[in-house]
Amino acid sequence: MSRPGFVLEVDDRTPPLVVHEGLGFRMEEFPLGTRVVYPPESLPAIDDVDGAIRDALLNPVDSEPLPELLFSGMRLTIAFDDLSLPLPTMQRPDVRQRVIEAVLTLAAAAGVDDVEIIAANALHRRMNAAELEHIVGERVFRSFYPQGKLYNFDAEDRDALAHLGTTDEGEDVEISKRAAESDLLVYVNLNLVAMDGGHKSVGVGLSSYTSLKHHHTAKTMVHSRSFMDHKASKMHHSAWRMGRLIKDHVKVFQIETTVNNDVFPKPFDFLMKREWEWNLKDQASMLAARRGLAVAPQKLRHKIFHDMRAPYGLTGVNAGEVEAVHERTIAKVHQQQLVEVDGYSDVLVLGVPYLGPYNVNSSMNPILATCMGLGYYFNSYRGHPMVKRGGAVILYHPLNEGFNQLHHPSYVDFYEEVLAETTDPQVIGEKYEKQFAEDPWYRHLYRTSNAYHGVHPFYMWYWAAHAMDHVGDVVWVGGDRKVAKRLGFRAASSLNDALEMVSGSVGTSPSITYLHNPPHILADVKV
Amino acid sequence: MTVALEMFRSVPRTLAGKAMGSRMPGILSGFAAPLRVASPEAPKATGKPGWARLRTRLSGICGSDLGMLSGRTSLYFSAVVSLPFTPGHEVVADLVDDCEDLPAGTRVVVDPVLTCAARGVESCEACAVGATNRCSRITVGHLSPGLQTGFCADTGGGWGQQLVAHRSQLHPVPDALTDEQAVLVEPIACAVHTALRAGVQPGDRVLVSGAGAVGLLATLALRELTPAAEVLVVAKHPLQKEIARLAGATDVVAPSEVLRRVRRSTGAFQLRPEFSRPYLLGGVDVAIDAVGSAASLETAMGATRAGGRVVVSGMPAPANLSALWFRELELVGTYASARTEASLTGPDGAERGSFDAAVDLAAHEAVAAMADSVARYPLHRWREAIDHAHSAGRLGTVKVAFSPGSRS
Amino acid sequence: MGVGEFLSGGVADVRRTARGFRWGRRGQVPRSAEPYVLPQHSTVFDTGWARRPAVMAAREIAQKVGLEPLFRSQVHTRVEGLDVLERLDGPVIFVANHASHLDTPLLLLSLPDAWRRKTAVAAAADYFFDTWWKAVGSSLVFNTFPIDRRGGSMAATPGEVLADGWSLVVYPEGTRSRDGWLQGFRMGAAFLAQTHDVPVVPVAHRGTFAAMPRGAGWPSRTDGRRREVTVRFGEPLRAAEGESVREFAPRIKDAVAALLDEERTSWYEAQLRRSAGTTPDPSGPDVAAWRRVWEQTEPVAGDAVGRGRPTPWDRVRTEARVRAKAALKR
Repeated sequence: MSRPGFVLEVDDRTPPLVVHEGLGFRMEEFPLGTRVVYPPESLPAIDDVDGAIRDALLNPVDSEPLPELLFSGMRLTIAFDDLSLPLPTMQRPDVRQRVIEAVLTLAAAAGVDDVEIIAANALHRRMNAAELEHIVGERVFRSFYPQGKLYNFDAEDRDALAHLGTTDEGEDVEISKRAAESDLLVYVNLNLVAMDGGHKSVGVGLSSYTSLKHHHTAKTMVHSRSFMDHKASKMHHSAWRMGRLIKDHVKVFQIETTVNNDVFPKPFDFLMKREWEWNLKDQASMLAARRGLAVAPQKLRHKIFHDMRAPYGLTGVNAGEVEAVHERTIAKVHQQQLVEVDGYSDVLVLGVPYLGPYNVNSSMNPILATCMGLGYYFNSYRGHPMVKRGGAVILYHPLNEGFNQLHHPSYVDFYEEVLAETTDPQVIGEKYEKQFAEDPWYRHLYRTSNAYHGVHPFYMWYWAAHAMDHVGDVVWVGGDRKVAKRLGFRAASSLNDALEMVSGSVGTSPSITYLHNPPHILADVKV
Repeated sequence: MTVALEMFRSVPRTLAGKAMGSRMPGILSGFAAPLRVASPEAPKATGKPGWARLRTRLSGICGSDLGMLSGRTSLYFSAVVSLPFTPGHEVVADLVDDCEDLPAGTRVVVDPVLTCAARGVESCEACAVGATNRCSRITVGHLSPGLQTGFCADTGGGWGQQLVAHRSQLHPVPDALTDEQAVLVEPIACAVHTALRAGVQPGDRVLVSGAGAVGLLATLALRELTPAAEVLVVAKHPLQKEIARLAGATDVVAPSEVLRRVRRSTGAFQLRPEFSRPYLLGGVDVAIDAVGSAASLETAMGATRAGGRVVVSGMPAPANLSALWFRELELVGTYASARTEASLTGPDGAERGSFDAAVDLAAHEAVAAMADSVARYPLHRWREAIDHAHSAGRLGTVKVAFSPGSRS
Repeated sequence: MGVGEFLSGGVADVRRTARGFRWGRRGQVPRSAEPYVLPQHSTVFDTGWARRPAVMAAREIAQKVGLEPLFRSQVHTRVEGLDVLERLDGPVIFVANHASHLDTPLLLLSLPDAWRRKTAVAAAADYFFDTWWKAVGSSLVFNTFPIDRRGGSMAATPGEVLADGWSLVVYPEGTRSRDGWLQGFRMGAAFLAQTHDVPVVPVAHRGTFAAMPRGAGWPSRTDGRRREVTVRFGEPLRAAEGESVREFAPRIKDAVAALLDEERTSWYEAQLRRSAGTTPDPSGPDVAAWRRVWEQTEPVAGDAVGRGRPTPWDRVRTEARVRAKAALKR
């Protein structure tokens, strides 16, 4: 049976603890009294995955069974989450492949000819053929890709978008025309963390900048507390309003899946064990890994980490009406990730790992590292942030990976031009967002190459807006000083130096909380 | 007896400098420089009407001087110099003799171009209209061939204690300027000419590639004398960046960022050809190459919109001119400075030249900042001085200068 | 990165790990993590290797060259009743009282070589098998294998070992006695004997408590001389047809108690008392703890003090001592 997550208090018996930092990790000796939030252990995986999927499709929540919705001559569109989920990329077969195969089996039985499969990548980069194939599997890929019926969503193709109207609050809803004009839209989701899924699937994944600009703003993000809790997130409220409008136009059959916490394959599985339970072999693996990484050139380290495929196990699959399904999904995600934390502290410590949603097969550039640390990890809470207002966040990442020109061309300009001017998300948004969003070159690269949309770095920065608004100091341990400065932060060589640097605002013996992830944690902070 | 540095004919040294100078700059300040300390007789031009002796206060080392020493300069110029000569054409000096209306002791800066007036011949067509830098008589008359003071065997040059100059070359220096500011007047005058040659229209975006003295002063001149909307400066070193901003740059970028930045601010498309430099479709209206290397010139052409203008300021290196043809660029040269600049001539009809504008600009805070960084060397430490000048930017210096009057 | 940096980084890592993970000592669990520790799955070390021929050869050397001379140099041993083994073919289960760490070497070294080589010792998993070096050391020298003494049912191994033709040494008390007296017997030995249908040979140790009780690290001496420890083997027992483990276990205990009685008195007296059911309670009198210990530490007959039968050697020694004293006086 898997044990629940808990909060460790570092005492004199505590061994050094793993802290991830980019393409590596370190063993950190935390000050006594530091609280360390550990994720629950992996829930047991479902053995009969195909059976569970079939069962979900035949007995959906608040919806007719899928076979009843399929009929000959219909237009069926299947949309699925792109490669930003799950992290790391899952070992074959991806759960989305199995779901899509099950849906297609039913569709074939019903004699449906007009099927299109769309990757719901919104403003993310187009996936290449191999990446698509990894998600949907060889059989689906071979049946649809050559005919152009399996493709990435293009949010800049004016002819392929449909404006469905505006919500009560005046937000434009513009999504894929094919999806909007289908008799049935099946969305296949992989709900890795609590922010995913629900109306965010169709309402964000298949929508254009026209739609996204309403909720992807610094202001919304500051008021999304947190964006990992859709009931308290302004961004999700907006997405929900849009989703309800979409529901009036097209029948959506939502299939959501959840996975457990098995993120590291062998021989890195020791990273998921609690350190005091490491046996000699785990310790030896750690020492060997540390030395190996120390001597490996950056390219090799990148390869070692990015070639990892997570042995995720499926913990749940639900299908049917979006909101009802999502409620069940969230419950499962909470069961796997929620840890109760008693109150907040002065300092929050976060280790930023090698991977985030936007650098799969790419590099973790400084903006993405910021988004990962101050965006995703900082927001991994429910209730109150893990750190007090005006407190400090200490992050670990070397910030030295540079930019991938193929995937992140607009990031480079954002970094060199915009951040050189100001790091205030609000100001940045007002002054530069439109320019970047409408830059014809970025549009071109987004549509034809494998580049993230021109406006994407802004969204990354907005993701961190809540944290920047909430905390006083941000210090990067082991970070490149010049880069940290450009980001508007500071760098320190060790945790002790970092604590010294923030002592001005939190005193010399602050309370510290360290979020021990990955695997994913959602801290339920009780104040 | 006076002391001066003298550049002489030495085939082996020149060849050595040409072969290795770019990879091992140290060799240039070592044995490969065809330069020596000499005690020349009084310059030949002494005593002719309109000529007077000058005692050098300060004389700068220019990029063209370094090119000459390293043999990088094209042999094209061998016909318009006369060896051996004393280099140094950025000169601030005191008059030793009275010179027409200027009494002895007047502090002057020298416009180095040796024109028809100085050579005692009738004005050519160019000189007649004040375009003295285009003079077509620079090899004739009573002087040896020499395009400028500092390249002519008969006049001496700034890298010596004494030289001679013609009244037409002299511009008195206001007392408010320091010697360091004054020694920058000649380069400023060139920059003024460059800025005016750039033909900047209101609202134009201008790229200045290079932030040595030439680039920084061109930036200043562009800002002060033209209606440029944006001036983007490419600079490597911190002091260069700081001064570029003082001089009025809208933005300062590192060399590796320049194409991306231009692309971003102009909404251009970037192309990446095989095995050669990327370039833009679209870009700035005017680009000024203030480095003179092939890379810099090609970057400037690649970052300029079709039909735009590229100004070559500084001795150019051979470069790929495909863009010139394909993008229908106007490639414009700019050499030295003109006695009369039509566009500077005020409504009162008074003729103004590059030097007049330059003397005014020399009081600008950006020039003051550059003057602060001037490194002074006595003549006998010329090897150090040349070495310093080779990596001036990295060492936080905009200009290295000789002060022949000082002993240490 | 230079070689030096790589090496110094490695050294720092190893140091931090060694300190943080308490190399060479027991790993510890942070206090706040204690509620979340999984119940210890008995980390049973596999000891199959210890019964392979190569290891048996190594054990032979360890016991004969290392253990035996050392053991004999520290205690004086007396073995009685070995003849019972002549009437048996292994395997058997030796069931003994347990009062000291001396019991195992005493018993093993008393056995005839052929028996000794094919005898394995059941040892507490939580004591002898909690670290790898203790596990390796004890299985190598004493051929121990782990049993769980807390749970009611025994681990699977003893049966397998027995089935492979090995005799077992089992201490049904489960732990060493605190005062030398016999404690309650558990059912394990009886259960094993019954299910595998092997005879039980009762064994009684005496004097081992006096020589090296719980807590002592080395055998003590009396008057500078080795203490005497005795081991006595009794008649083998077999579970009768239809006899339950519950009935059989007390019979084993009684047999050990009778042997202890015989050790004190004589075989015939003990037999008499046994048949009369008046064998003294081997768990000792219900008196103050000190008196129980006192009685147990009383030297075994044969020790220098209070013994009945002086040996010729003793006479020579006493003579020499007296003469030496006289010579000194003079």
